[in-house]
Amino acid sequence: MLRLIAVAICLVTLSGCVNLNSMSMTQVPENRSNLISATASDWNFLGFVFDNDFVDEAVSQLKQQCQGGKLQGVLTKHQTTTYFLVFKREVIASGYCNKV
Amino acid sequence: MYKLLLIGVSALLLGACARLDHVQIGDLDQTQGNLQPISVKVSQFGIELAAFAEVGRHTASSSAARSQSQQVRDLLALMNMGPRTGNPVYNETYAEKVLEDLYRQCPSGNITGIRSIREARAYTAVSGEIVRIDAFCVQ
Repeated sequence: MLRLIAVAICLVTLSGCVNLNSMSMTQVPENRSNLISATASDWNFLGFVFDNDFVDEAVSQLKQQCQGGKLQGVLTKHQTTTYFLVFKREVIASGYCNKV
Repeated sequence: MYKLLLIGVSALLLGACARLDHVQIGDLDQTQGNLQPISVKVSQFGIELAAFAEVGRHTASSSAARSQSQQVRDLLALMNMGPRTGNPVYNETYAEKVLEDLYRQCPSGNITGIRSIREARAYTAVSGEIVRIDAFCVQ
């Protein structure tokens, strides 16, 4: 019985609840054949974080994936997943890359 | 031991936690030339007065003073209730000049890949409410 409760608690706490902090989108191009995406995240304990530098990683990934092209229709999602005493902050971005 | 604990807690509280409220990534054009990163950051002092009143309540010596601090705290909390991002600031126009600052860093005006970031440095009851605009200047 105790084991069952422990498993249930683990399932509830480790599955995580997600907060959607912000979301934005830019103008979508006519040509939408090449969708690229990037995700950057960081973990923290009890919400103690000292910088937001992980956001830049998502931009670098997008820049890398669309070299020499035009990235449009960028959908940016900023979310926080809450686990037991631990939080995961994520920026998920996607967009359409068109090479000229 | 008590002193050590106090120093540990102070270091943790004064270390300034970063808060991230909003991220927006704009269109990125890499067809026109080399990109040079540019950045503009403006901030304003934010304060949570109710938290100060709460500290006053805990440190008050008499029960009458504690009661008064509690009333002040409740009043301040009611005045500031409602949806908000971060601590209240006294100058709501602090982020209006970011575009001019961006153009100053990129005189050609050819700016791409604009990222709008709303963040803060939080020191318990006070904070630096920050608006940061990162972008690329096309060379």
